[in-house]
Amino acid sequence: MFSRIGYIIRETLANLTRNLTLTIASLLTVIVSLSFVGFVFLIQDAVGNQLGTWKDGVEVSVFMNPDASPDQIEGVRRALEPAQNTLIKSSRYVNAADALVEIKKLFPSTPEMTDLFSKDGQGVPTSFRIKPTSTESTVISSITSTFRTMPGVSIVRSADQAIAFIRKISSFARWGLGVGAVSLLAAAVLLIWNTIRTAMFARRREIEVMKLVGATNWFIRWPFIIEGMVQGLLGAAIACGLVWTGKNLWRSKVIGSFGSQLNFDTLQATAGQFRSVIILLLVIGAVAGSVASAIASSRFLDV
Amino acid sequence: MIKLDNVTKVYNNEVLALRDASFEVAKGEFVFLVGTSGSGKSTLLRLINREEAADRGEVWVAGGNINNLSSRDVPKLRRKMGNVFQDYKLLLNKTVFENVAFALEVIGSPKHVIRQQVPAILELVGLAGKQERFPNQLSGGEQQRVSIARAFVNRPLILLADEPTGNLDPATGEGIMRLLDRINKTGTTVVMATHDRNIVNMMRRRVIELDRGIIIRDQARGVYE
Repeated sequence: MFSRIGYIIRETLANLTRNLTLTIASLLTVIVSLSFVGFVFLIQDAVGNQLGTWKDGVEVSVFMNPDASPDQIEGVRRALEPAQNTLIKSSRYVNAADALVEIKKLFPSTPEMTDLFSKDGQGVPTSFRIKPTSTESTVISSITSTFRTMPGVSIVRSADQAIAFIRKISSFARWGLGVGAVSLLAAAVLLIWNTIRTAMFARRREIEVMKLVGATNWFIRWPFIIEGMVQGLLGAAIACGLVWTGKNLWRSKVIGSFGSQLNFDTLQATAGQFRSVIILLLVIGAVAGSVASAIASSRFLDV
Repeated sequence: MIKLDNVTKVYNNEVLALRDASFEVAKGEFVFLVGTSGSGKSTLLRLINREEAADRGEVWVAGGNINNLSSRDVPKLRRKMGNVFQDYKLLLNKTVFENVAFALEVIGSPKHVIRQQVPAILELVGLAGKQERFPNQLSGGEQQRVSIARAFVNRPLILLADEPTGNLDPATGEGIMRLLDRINKTGTTVVMATHDRNIVNMMRRRVIELDRGIIIRDQARGVYE
């Protein structure tokens, strides 16, 4: 048994180095394709996390005209009762004084902004802040259109554009990177297949002798299958390194610099999600490599 | 030990290699297969070691019918026989020792068995002291001795030899023949396809002659003609 394991290890190493150019080619393809796969999953996770965070924070703001009458404001308030409109979870009224405080908070370095308004907030538009029951864009736009036309309402704003934007990036990444990842993975499988075929052709004499002295097909195939698996695993490991580096750069350079200002601190994968992606990449690499070489080695074994 | 019953083999549906061949080889027998090139000698050997399957008729080896052998069982059959070829089929990147050890390694023999068996068999074929040479550092006769050592190292029941002296000068060929004779005397059944008139006439063993795929002579203690 030990001589057999030693044999397999020796043969695998010899095969990997015998055809270095092909090995490197398939390795590179595995690396690039699995990095794509890794990034697709990380982006997916990041967007999911960000959307989850925003879900509670999403608001639709209905701004009233500064000269709206108390009756008009009361009308909007009544229409906003959850009992009146099933799409609305809750709402609160921001009066002129509160709005002024908010403006001061938003523009701390430009007091001129607040100076435009009088001290008691006269002329500052008041608004209703609405929490919808769902962040689906159909719900948001239905709320928007309902209140835009009500008397005394000047404008309705919502965060759904931001959400739609994030969703668009996410689906773009999913399709663009996903299609790239799948086709590169197919290329990697074909390259591994070809590497194994070349390796078997280079050793056809040995294989012929092995068959004649009664080696089982599995005995002949193992070194080739392990060679394919090693290529897949090695490629996956390097891809994991790239994905890890990319993740860290994103966290330090992008989230670290702009995240809190632009309110997307959570646009990144958690450590747990990252771990799952790493495991997934290693599994895909090992399975793709060994399946390709198993099929290739059985196809070219019939001497 | 070997029995063919009305065996026919056709290649690619058109080339008739062997037609209705029937014969039986007893345990410990020595048989020459003679005939011109293309007469079906090699096909016969390839049917016995199951590199080819018979199209019609039955082939029995060591008591078992090998017609419908599954690909899993072919290695078991091959371990009961050794093969020797005109072109030796040695692995040029391996030493003499490694070439012979290879035959044991690939059937999973433990290391201590390999360390003990290989020098013994190399001694038997007259290559003691040349274990560390590579095949192209040896003469043709010596290379054939390595290949016989490889075929015989796991003590098979049957030894199949396809023109083993075909590439050798007469004196060297005779040496190889004597070695095969010695192996035969240990109880191993030997089937040897050959063109070598002198050797056949010298040995006076059973001769089966083929002509265009048909057995035309099966003679005990025969000559080449």
